[in-house]
Amino acid sequence: MLRDPDVRRRLLFGALIVISLVLLTAFFREPATGALHGLQRGTLGYLTPLQSTATRAIEPFQEGYRWAGDLLEAHSRNENLQTELEGLRGRVVQLEEADQENRRLKELLDFREAAIFPAGSEFVVARVIGRSPTRWQEWVHIDKGSADGLKLNQPVVGATNATGDSLSGKGLVGKVVGVSENAAQIQLITDPESSVAALIQQSRARGIVVVPEAGRLVMDYVERDQRVEAKQIVETSGFGEVYPKGIPVGVVQTVGEEDVNVYKQIEIRTFVDFGVLEEVMVVISPAVPNVDESLMEKLNPTDKPVATP
Amino acid sequence: MTSVVRIPDGVRLGGMLLVAVAVQAVVTSRVLVLGVSADLFLVLAVLVALGRGSTKGALFGFGAGLLADIIYLEPVGLRTFIYLMLGYGVGRYSEILGVASAWTVVLLAAVSAFSAELVYGLFQVLAGQPGSFWAMLQQQVLPAALLDALVAAPLYLGLVRLGMLDPPGGAGPSFK
Repeated sequence: MLRDPDVRRRLLFGALIVISLVLLTAFFREPATGALHGLQRGTLGYLTPLQSTATRAIEPFQEGYRWAGDLLEAHSRNENLQTELEGLRGRVVQLEEADQENRRLKELLDFREAAIFPAGSEFVVARVIGRSPTRWQEWVHIDKGSADGLKLNQPVVGATNATGDSLSGKGLVGKVVGVSENAAQIQLITDPESSVAALIQQSRARGIVVVPEAGRLVMDYVERDQRVEAKQIVETSGFGEVYPKGIPVGVVQTVGEEDVNVYKQIEIRTFVDFGVLEEVMVVISPAVPNVDESLMEKLNPTDKPVATP
Repeated sequence: MTSVVRIPDGVRLGGMLLVAVAVQAVVTSRVLVLGVSADLFLVLAVLVALGRGSTKGALFGFGAGLLADIIYLEPVGLRTFIYLMLGYGVGRYSEILGVASAWTVVLLAAVSAFSAELVYGLFQVLAGQPGSFWAMLQQQVLPAALLDALVAAPLYLGLVRLGMLDPPGGAGPSFK
């Protein structure tokens, strides 16, 4: 029977199974000091010096492998961090933008609370969405229109960062000269066609703020006998139908006189920095009693409503 | 006149096992891929069983498993039993179906490694080893099966070239 190879194979297989199960049972039944545990410890004792030597020999390769792995990981992390950084940078820009906008709007709000405007005035805050492309004209487009209650000739004020003078950049911007349902065109006081009836706050000298040439703002028609000095504040006089009295316009920079001119030449600088204007506030004044047009013409011929083309 | 010394097959296989002990202890156990290291004892048991049949496969599996138990400081008899079963099973497979190509070796190595690790993992779970069975499957069983299959292919080709194993189907080893 044992000569049959199949039987021999099966017997051997069975015997080996029995031996392995006996070994397993013995291993679990014997104490930690038993023969099989001792065999493991003994083998470990033989292998340890071999492993120690091999460890030292292999260490540089392992380090190299680890270094390569770290390098790849660092590269991957770097890419992730770059992406994250770009996202955060974008977020920071957004937040800074929002912060700046908040500040500007707060300035506008402060301006509104300054009790300059006629009682009962309403205000529409609008964003500047367009600007005249040349210096020949100075206007901006805003994102509010007739749907928001805007009409022609309503005064517009604004607040920008302080330019070094008082009132922190708050002042007159211009007036509404064109209105559609959701947008309006604002003629700036720096436009050559603009004219604003104004007075010097300290001396109460009256005149008209005009733009004789691009980039230059002059208060004209001020009698030579009026006392005007640099740094004095120019504000709207309230003459005319457009601008209520007391809105800051700018500050006197230089005062000049010419023998051939009966009026002083007063250069002024606006409080509002029109180069960075981003939000404005349209002042919707309460209805006022009708004023005699002919009287207005005599008082202030230039400060009158402009028709929209 | 030259005399050819024929080394008995048992001695050659024993020598192969001793070399495997050294390589496993010194090199293979230190190289982690996917969090696991290749098990040369298991791979060799499969390869020998494929090349030598069920009897030698069972004997080699028994010896390889015993050495693995001793070196890995695991319950003596556990891997002995598992590798014995694998050696016998793979040997029977090769006796009945033969080894068509080297791809058969890779596939059998993967299946064997998967089975061995699965049985070993189940034993650990039954023995109260903490940890989820599914986590063990993902972290140990599958990566080990994959790695052992990858190691089996070059090892098989190398052993065939050294004359330690017969080529599949009697022809040269190939992955065609």
